[in-house]
Amino acid sequence: MSVQVTAALIAAAAAAVFLASEAWRRWRGTRILQAAPAAVARDGAYILYFSGEGCTICRTHQEPALRRLQGVHVEKVDALREAELAQRYGVYTLPTTLVVAPDGRPLRVNYGYAPASKLAAQLREAAQLT
Amino acid sequence: MIDSSALRVNQAGIVLTVAVAFVGSAFWWPAVWLIPLLAAVLVAGTIRPELALFKQLYFHVLQPRGLVRPRPEAGSPAPHNFAQGLGGGVLAVASLLLAVLPAAGLALALLVATLAFVNLAFGFCLGCQIYYQLGRRGLIRA
Repeated sequence: MSVQVTAALIAAAAAAVFLASEAWRRWRGTRILQAAPAAVARDGAYILYFSGEGCTICRTHQEPALRRLQGVHVEKVDALREAELAQRYGVYTLPTTLVVAPDGRPLRVNYGYAPASKLAAQLREAAQLT
Repeated sequence: MIDSSALRVNQAGIVLTVAVAFVGSAFWWPAVWLIPLLAAVLVAGTIRPELALFKQLYFHVLQPRGLVRPRPEAGSPAPHNFAQGLGGGVLAVASLLLAVLPAAGLALALLVATLAFVNLAFGFCLGCQIYYQLGRRGLIRA
């Protein structure tokens, strides 16, 4: 039984390290965003949505969530085809959504699936900032 | 086109097999042999899809009998095959470790099962993210 307990402890420690590294990457991504150049300016706040061919959660979760945001412009970007753009915004995972202010300033970044309610709140915040 | 139900059955198979090996080994150590067996199944299934045991179980038993409904989605199977192969490779390393460092071998197998569970429950596929990163760096043709 001690082998199983030791194994469970090692696996839990490895999972904790993985979660900590994810948190760090997200924090670093937010820093990259602060220094990122402006995106295209539009009439209202919009979403830059990074996806890819092999991203299942993009189709099963993210895209239905984006469809629920009626009247919001969503610019879909293939992260592999537009590698330079993905690099510029620190996209390390798919899906990644960026909330962009009307003047083109990227304001918020969501690494991984972002529900419609979270995106809607970020868009409201973006609209107030401008 | 991919059938996400086939992927989910595959993930459930991985979680269940490692769970049986882990719990079973507490009572009967040879239960850990399920881990190298699972590694072989995953690697073989990556090389030849007709050898993917859990997917075959889905296509030939579960789906025809209406036990699991198909969920076809647009997309490439390549990242998922890569993730499966990666899981098989890590389980192969875990199998080797079982002979010299049993706790480390079991821990590695548990990690693979945890990631398969995270994929099954939350749709986060770490192997697919690694595939994306390698493709972005031009190390594989994604």
